[in-house]
Amino acid sequence: MSSSVTTRTKGGPGRGVRAGRPSAVWALPAVLFFTIFAVAPMALAFYLSFTKWNGLGDPEPVGLANWQKLFDDPRLTQSLTVTVLLTVVSWAFQTVVSLLLGVWAAGRQRNRAFLSAVFFVPFLLSSTAISLLFYALLDPNFGIIHGDTLGTTSGAFLAIVFVGGWQFIPFHTLIYQGGARQIPEVLYQAAAMDGAGRYRQFFSITLPQLRNTATTSSVLMIVGSLTYFETVLILTQGGPGTDTAILPYLMYQAGFKNYDFGYASAVASFLVVAATALSLLLVRLSGFGNMRSTREGM
Amino acid sequence: MESYSRRWFLGAGAGVVAAAGLTACGSGSGSGGSGGTVNAMTYGDDAVKVQEKAVTRFNASAAAKTAKGKVKLQKVPGADYPAKLRTAMGSPNAPDVFFNWGGGSIKAYKEADQLIDLTDTIQSDSVLKSGFLPSVLASGALENKMYGIPMRGMQPVLVFYNKTLFTEHKLQAPKTWDQLLDLNAKLKKAKITPFALGGADIWPELMWLEYLVDRIGGPQVFAKIKDGDTSAWGDPAVLKAAEAAKQLIDDGAFGKGFSSVAYTNGGAPALLAKGRAAMHLMGSWEYSTQLGKFPDFAKKDLGWFAFPSYDGGAGDIRNVVGNPTNYWSVNARVSNKDAAIAFLRDCASEAYTKDLIANGDVPTTTIAEKLLDASPNPEFAKFQYQMVQNAPAFTLSWDQAVDPNVSQPMLTEVNKLFVGKSSPSQFVSALKGLK
Amino acid sequence: MSHDTLRRPRPVKTSTRPSATDPGRRRRHWTRRPNPLAGVGSVLWLVVVIIPIYAMISVSLTRQDQALGNNALKPPSHPTLDNYNTVLHNGFGHFLLNTLLVAAAVVVIVLALCVPLSYVAVRARTFWSGATFRLFLLGVAIPAQAVVVPLYLMIAKLNLYDSLLAIILPTAAFAMPVSTLILTGTMRDISEEMYEAMSLDGASTTRMLFQLVIPMTKGGISTVVIYSALQAWNGFLFPLIFTQSDGPRVLTLGLFNYVSQFGVNIPALLASVVLSGIPIFAVYLVARRALVGGLMGVGGK
Repeated sequence: MSSSVTTRTKGGPGRGVRAGRPSAVWALPAVLFFTIFAVAPMALAFYLSFTKWNGLGDPEPVGLANWQKLFDDPRLTQSLTVTVLLTVVSWAFQTVVSLLLGVWAAGRQRNRAFLSAVFFVPFLLSSTAISLLFYALLDPNFGIIHGDTLGTTSGAFLAIVFVGGWQFIPFHTLIYQGGARQIPEVLYQAAAMDGAGRYRQFFSITLPQLRNTATTSSVLMIVGSLTYFETVLILTQGGPGTDTAILPYLMYQAGFKNYDFGYASAVASFLVVAATALSLLLVRLSGFGNMRSTREGM
Repeated sequence: MESYSRRWFLGAGAGVVAAAGLTACGSGSGSGGSGGTVNAMTYGDDAVKVQEKAVTRFNASAAAKTAKGKVKLQKVPGADYPAKLRTAMGSPNAPDVFFNWGGGSIKAYKEADQLIDLTDTIQSDSVLKSGFLPSVLASGALENKMYGIPMRGMQPVLVFYNKTLFTEHKLQAPKTWDQLLDLNAKLKKAKITPFALGGADIWPELMWLEYLVDRIGGPQVFAKIKDGDTSAWGDPAVLKAAEAAKQLIDDGAFGKGFSSVAYTNGGAPALLAKGRAAMHLMGSWEYSTQLGKFPDFAKKDLGWFAFPSYDGGAGDIRNVVGNPTNYWSVNARVSNKDAAIAFLRDCASEAYTKDLIANGDVPTTTIAEKLLDASPNPEFAKFQYQMVQNAPAFTLSWDQAVDPNVSQPMLTEVNKLFVGKSSPSQFVSALKGLK
Repeated sequence: MSHDTLRRPRPVKTSTRPSATDPGRRRRHWTRRPNPLAGVGSVLWLVVVIIPIYAMISVSLTRQDQALGNNALKPPSHPTLDNYNTVLHNGFGHFLLNTLLVAAAVVVIVLALCVPLSYVAVRARTFWSGATFRLFLLGVAIPAQAVVVPLYLMIAKLNLYDSLLAIILPTAAFAMPVSTLILTGTMRDISEEMYEAMSLDGASTTRMLFQLVIPMTKGGISTVVIYSALQAWNGFLFPLIFTQSDGPRVLTLGLFNYVSQFGVNIPALLASVVLSGIPIFAVYLVARRALVGGLMGVGGK
């Protein structure tokens, strides 16, 4: 499936080689499709953010009113804070658990293989199904947790973090498991000869060797936590109050509860700008963009 | 590898073709050029079987033949019905006839000229004109024009209680707020949660404020708010109601975990049925919910009374809060208006009324009163019918009555008050700021 | 190195693993040592995973009037399959079929578009191919929710409202950035010599795509298949907003609707959750290795 970088860099300076260089036209269908169903809607959202539209009839231009309202809206700051906090806490929770489980599951003992298979089960359910499951289990009169979990800010917040983790940790465990299995054994042999114990080996070999794996996993986690929408919709409806109303939920509420699609589009445009900035940041930090030059090696 | 990819693409092609086929089915049901068919969109809960029967009856009737059209029922399950309706009404697949709550729930459609004014139709048709309780028919009106035909049972909000608990602790249904507070103290001493409350859904919390504002300040307080006067939230009755609610919450009247208890998943009804809570302020559908979940309890142990009066308050104890009923409204783009109207006339019929009664509903038709003995619980049915018939005022649930873009923020503020995130005075000033 | 003898090595089994050809992977001892601390941790996580699943199955087998107000951890005293019956009679199979159709169509679209795109991104060396790649990179973090309002407007105008295509098209579009990232990652592993060898044989660019690039990218392609199918499987907001009737209703939305449709019937709701997991669980049992391998591929780069 993949080999290490070093085996691939000897392609030599292939500047004159024309072999297998397709014309850019091949990318056209993809670009067109993506433009119509992803880029154009973003542009349209930006346009709608300058209109008033309740879903019936035609949007009417209202200038900057929605943007003014957005930046005066205390919920925006709150929502932004919750979104960032949710992303960070989920990332920390999922990374720690997946890393440990993944390295553990990389072992080839039979019991580990069996447990890994069990651990994978939550990932088979859809987010909707999982949110509904915990919605039932968190009811203090009925489920397994007898307390006012969803009635307190921290309880509701942690419930979302937990439910997200419950679903996605299996996936990230796999990624780490795959990563850990690719660590060359010689490194451990050498360390063992130097008398390094198991835990020192973990910190001085396993962790540094998993850096790239961690980058990929983290990018996917961060991107994924922007989409905890179902969990919020089903579990907390943004509550208590508006304490767990993440940006996508704020947008949904403005649009499909209050029918203020102009304002919802302003929130959406804000979300697109923030997510693009995040993408740029992630691409820069993770080196996905650079992969082209460093990996292609030509 | 090659064979792999070829097979794969073939399979994929089949998938796309099938998908396109389903697309055709999906959009083919639109109102566009489908001639005589009337698409009726309704809320798809348990009670929808009454509408299903009505459709079958109508499609086989002479009226359908005359109007050269049949009705096709589209059931939309889910609490997000209002959002579904809105997106559908903005699309080419808009329904011809649709379920709604009257009031604020249809205002936007009226303003977008998407509703047929039914005033003349009703006035000139004796079946429709005299078929329904006038107060209920009036609640479907906007600016004195009729846009809706009542199509479901009445849903007043009242207090349900557990009879066994009341007997055990020698309690009486309270007539005044002070008696209610007294009851509250006694129950807490006996370590019973006085009131079940599905706070996770928020709207059950709203019911408390709706009644308190009515009892303290009278129905005109909210009537002003409903008409768009946001400063009316500043009426002292609203603050006083919020304070009274706050006092109950702080006192533990709803138990500790009420924000995690939902009505919709059966949590709150279970509390009442299992004797862990003594009372439950809820819409009249609580009876059928209990009948479905805990039939023994519903038949033997479930009692009810009207919300008590507030000492020194301006509101009459006979005033009712809740949903008068649900309505059918007709889309202005309807292709077969005659068939649509003919279908709506069935709602006043004896057959329809009987179906509703058999379902445990209390119809708003005038002939219902003498048919109520056939109800699964005639005592409860008659109590409701008379409650609504004798009510000096019937206030529509706030979240249905106000403009939809105020409704959700209002519910959020109610939730904040109940979870202690805002004080009664902060609550009032937040509501005054809603636009 | 005493731990080497702790367990009997199973070299044969190890070498049959798909990625075991890598010379650095023929290790035994590190991955075979028992680790008590990790063992305790894994048992803890096992509890976290198992309890909700157990409660879900147990409640789904409980009669409705017994479920409410009872401890969900207690096994049902009179297990019943009624709840499953209820769910199966409420359109479950139809919703499942719709979801499968959506997933298949999304996978087809994504592959048909992203394979050539990635090929261009990796091999073509024009300004435009770089710009295209960057366009898709920027899309990586943009959540689909952000465009649901304008998409609704477009879909209504295109007359696609309330159809499966309304779900398929945008779902596919939003699965493209990550898919492109995965595919370009895998395609970069194909060495220049292989292209040169094929071009000496006089192969056209198209033939290279089908005879070299696609076979060599199998791992990446299976990852993309799984990834995009999962997007369809999990998709909720697009179906919620873009469809209304029974015809094009997919499973996630069906589940969500059961909440109100069953009134307050939690056991039936949980039965539907269990049922929704069964088809993919079957896939998992049959094709565990491919599924797991494909998913590992997401991070394998």
